[in-house]
Amino acid sequence: MDFLSILTPFFFTLVASGTVIGIIFGAIPGMTATMAVAVCLPLTYSLGLENGLALLLGLYVGGISGGLVPAILLNIPGTPSSIATTFDGYPMTQKGEGERALRIAVISSFIGGIISLAALYFFAPALADFAIKFSYVEKFLIIFFALTVMAALSSNMLVGIFSGVLGIFLSLIGAYDISRGGNGELRLVPEFLEYYLESGFSLLPVLIGIFGLATILIEAEDGMKDGKDLSSIKIGKGKRFDFSVFKGQFVNLIRSSGIGTFVGILPGVGGSAASILAYSQQKNFSKNPERFGKGEPSGIMASESANNGLTGGALVPLLSLGIPGDSTTAILIGAFTLQGIQVGPLFIGNNPVTWDAMIIAMLAANIVMLLVMIFAIRYIAKVVMIPKNILFPIILMMCVVGAYTINYGVMFDVWTLLIFGLFGYFAHKIGLEIAPFIIGFILGPSAEIYFVKSIESFGTLSIFFTKSWIAVLLWVLIGLSVWFSITIARKKKKDLVQNGQ
Amino acid sequence: MTGFFKTLATAAGFAAMVASPIIANAAELPSNVRLVIGSKSTGGDTYQNSAIVAEALSKKLDINVKVDAVGVSEAFKALDRDSRGTTLMMFHDGAYMGNLYGVRGYDNIFEKYNVGATVSINPGNAYLVAKDSPFRSMEDVFAAAAAGQRIRVAIQAGGVSEIGLSAMKNAAKIMYPGAEENIVAVNTGSQADKNQLLFDRQADVINGSVQANEQFTQLAQDDQKAMRFIWVTAREETIKQANPEGMGNTTSEELLGYTTPNVSVTIDGKKDFTFDKEFFFIFNKDMDPAIIETIDNALAEIYAEGKIQETQKNSFFIPNFLPSTEASAYLKDKSETIRKIISSISTK
Amino acid sequence: MSLESLLSVSIDFDTSHTVFPTITAVVLGILLVAILATRGRTILATVGSLPWWPAKIDHMRFFGTLVGTVLYFIAMPWVGDFYPNTGLGFYICSIPYLFAMSVLYLHQRDKRHLMIAGLNAVIAPSVVWYLLSELFNISLP
Repeated sequence: MDFLSILTPFFFTLVASGTVIGIIFGAIPGMTATMAVAVCLPLTYSLGLENGLALLLGLYVGGISGGLVPAILLNIPGTPSSIATTFDGYPMTQKGEGERALRIAVISSFIGGIISLAALYFFAPALADFAIKFSYVEKFLIIFFALTVMAALSSNMLVGIFSGVLGIFLSLIGAYDISRGGNGELRLVPEFLEYYLESGFSLLPVLIGIFGLATILIEAEDGMKDGKDLSSIKIGKGKRFDFSVFKGQFVNLIRSSGIGTFVGILPGVGGSAASILAYSQQKNFSKNPERFGKGEPSGIMASESANNGLTGGALVPLLSLGIPGDSTTAILIGAFTLQGIQVGPLFIGNNPVTWDAMIIAMLAANIVMLLVMIFAIRYIAKVVMIPKNILFPIILMMCVVGAYTINYGVMFDVWTLLIFGLFGYFAHKIGLEIAPFIIGFILGPSAEIYFVKSIESFGTLSIFFTKSWIAVLLWVLIGLSVWFSITIARKKKKDLVQNGQ
Repeated sequence: MTGFFKTLATAAGFAAMVASPIIANAAELPSNVRLVIGSKSTGGDTYQNSAIVAEALSKKLDINVKVDAVGVSEAFKALDRDSRGTTLMMFHDGAYMGNLYGVRGYDNIFEKYNVGATVSINPGNAYLVAKDSPFRSMEDVFAAAAAGQRIRVAIQAGGVSEIGLSAMKNAAKIMYPGAEENIVAVNTGSQADKNQLLFDRQADVINGSVQANEQFTQLAQDDQKAMRFIWVTAREETIKQANPEGMGNTTSEELLGYTTPNVSVTIDGKKDFTFDKEFFFIFNKDMDPAIIETIDNALAEIYAEGKIQETQKNSFFIPNFLPSTEASAYLKDKSETIRKIISSISTK
Repeated sequence: MSLESLLSVSIDFDTSHTVFPTITAVVLGILLVAILATRGRTILATVGSLPWWPAKIDHMRFFGTLVGTVLYFIAMPWVGDFYPNTGLGFYICSIPYLFAMSVLYLHQRDKRHLMIAGLNAVIAPSVVWYLLSELFNISLP
């Protein structure tokens, strides 16, 4: 088939509608890009390969991008990969700069998407060859590197690290997953809960429990006073958006998009790590690290350009190794096999037309995402003006829907939501740090598999230092990350002392 | 706004639904059926096979069949809770293998549930080596093991992925007693992990599939990623039913070169071991047998029409319909064969 | 003993599920001790000075949310079981839940506000149920 004959108005309509539906899915707390792609997958059978992919890629890009909306406006990450966006996005909303934060996030998302798309288009096979240099050992070190971020994100380092390790600990509850290479045995599960905790606590219910339900409980305890934060915010009361905010952010955007793309390429590392890594690197390199967490635009840029960087990155192993880079691309494989198309190292060469169509679809999806969101921001931002007594019950209901549907209908996931809602509430009371906790929880299972498997294969701890030059490089990065965290903490302490005097 | 009117219309339909909640006729399937599957992935072969069958059944019986990828333990739990026929399960041989391998949480499905009709086969279960590997065939592997070399085989524990390894060990034991000790498992997870172990040369042989690994076998030998099939576990007859084009650049004819009798992994010194990954229904033990009959009859009609076979073959699945009673006896038999292999190599 | 032999460890696959949890538990324990050692006195002092029941809690709204949510979660699968695989358990239970929560959080319970809460409680679950369960065929309780 001729390449141009594929690019019909119908093709672009599908991309656009996919993107819009994806944004809506992403923007609803608890609904994810993965879910959007999963529910629309059956539709693609009748659409044919290229048109089907147009729809699905639109959903993918839209879904990842939509997550920034609730992260910024409600402090609830719409998808796990937008966690780092809450760190500075929500404080900006509290300052009345919600609309500005949204604009910054959308534009950064677009830049991340385009950079990763370029990487995909020009370097996919080379990147895949590089990615397979990462064995269990290097993947563990990447995870470990991402975990060191906990220190940088904590206000009190000791408590922060404790919270993070607690997150890892709780993520290990349940069976040691056979499908990831474990032996299927249970651990850390009390006998009377074995029936429920077979697969442990799922990430998404934990996430929306801690961010969604816990926030509502805290507000409820406070009496749901209208007139406090949310509804009192006059949109645009704070600084207005201006492109000058991007001045001097070139390095940040490139680095963050690059981190996103690269983490996307590594199968099994997990997309959420990307935005967290990018965020902490930006914080470490920043001249004013103390501003982070209080509404620093460059933090949003790092997080959002990284999580959209994932989109192109995760397609690299899919299209050049036949291996999905994240949970969403795992479903995309279904779209190919449904049409009888193999994905693997020969895909790009064998299917140049499909390959080009995919790139065009991704490009179009990114452009549609930018246009739609920029246009819609003014209206989306008004969400915060809805009275709490209407908004919060709806959020509660959507959290339930999200928790129930994430594993295709498991009621225990809904109870997980409540359990971690309460956990988040008490954590807030006793001063545990939520950000490191969540990072630990997300990365815990991967850290375990890669650590245990490395030792199973090599039988020595020294392998972590001697495996390859990549391992050594990663240790340097880990060392730098720790060193930065300590310096920042010291500086903060000194500032506090000075201010105290 | 048309959505609003649609909602209104639905509300009217909704009132009607509330009025008649319980299923009218016992022999009929409920109007909303949930088909839970033993896999958490919606991109995998279990989901695809289930979706193909679910769609055909939906059309045939004019009901709504929805596939939910809840995973093994949740699928069995959902099935346990519901004997009304509103929850059915579909899975493959892994459903009883977990029990045979003693994996925690797997019951004997032949006792605890009713095993229903088989619908299809995924003929792609295969074992591969790196293209520059000194092993060019299973014979080389056995010979090396007999000579005392340690052969590491990357698999996922306790299921379809492990059975080929067990068969290899069993064959090694028969041909060169003691050699089975030299064939060892490298327990890992996804296909990506297995491939990676081969790329790193941390495994000598990996379990894979024709679908996922065929393209790697087409790469040049100097490519780190290049692989070579050494064994396709399917029966000869199964591969013969596949479309002649096979998969990718490998025709069915070429694939036959990797199955019995061209590749021999003996089961008892005379017969070769074969394994087809078959997909079948599992029902709640207390479910009305009339529902099973309804499903059997509907499937019989669907397969008689012949359209579903095309759909399955297009995705490299082999149609394989056996009504419930036959299927159950056949699978029980199959599981006994596998049980023997596992116990023969068990050192305990 | 050389460094290499000091670092060598072997993990048995059958017990490999306990390796990482053990390490994590030990690290967690060490961190807890460290926190208690460095800040134990402050923590004790804070805990000691706290009233046994925190003041200024809006009891009705806080516990109302909890009780309502627990009831909602219990009711959903129970109701849903009467209409299997239709998502109606979710639909039927969400309406009263949403209404109850909206009213609970309301400060001025006048006719207008109650009307809005009621309308919202009917419309929001209807839209969600219709879109997800009917249009996209997603499983709801």
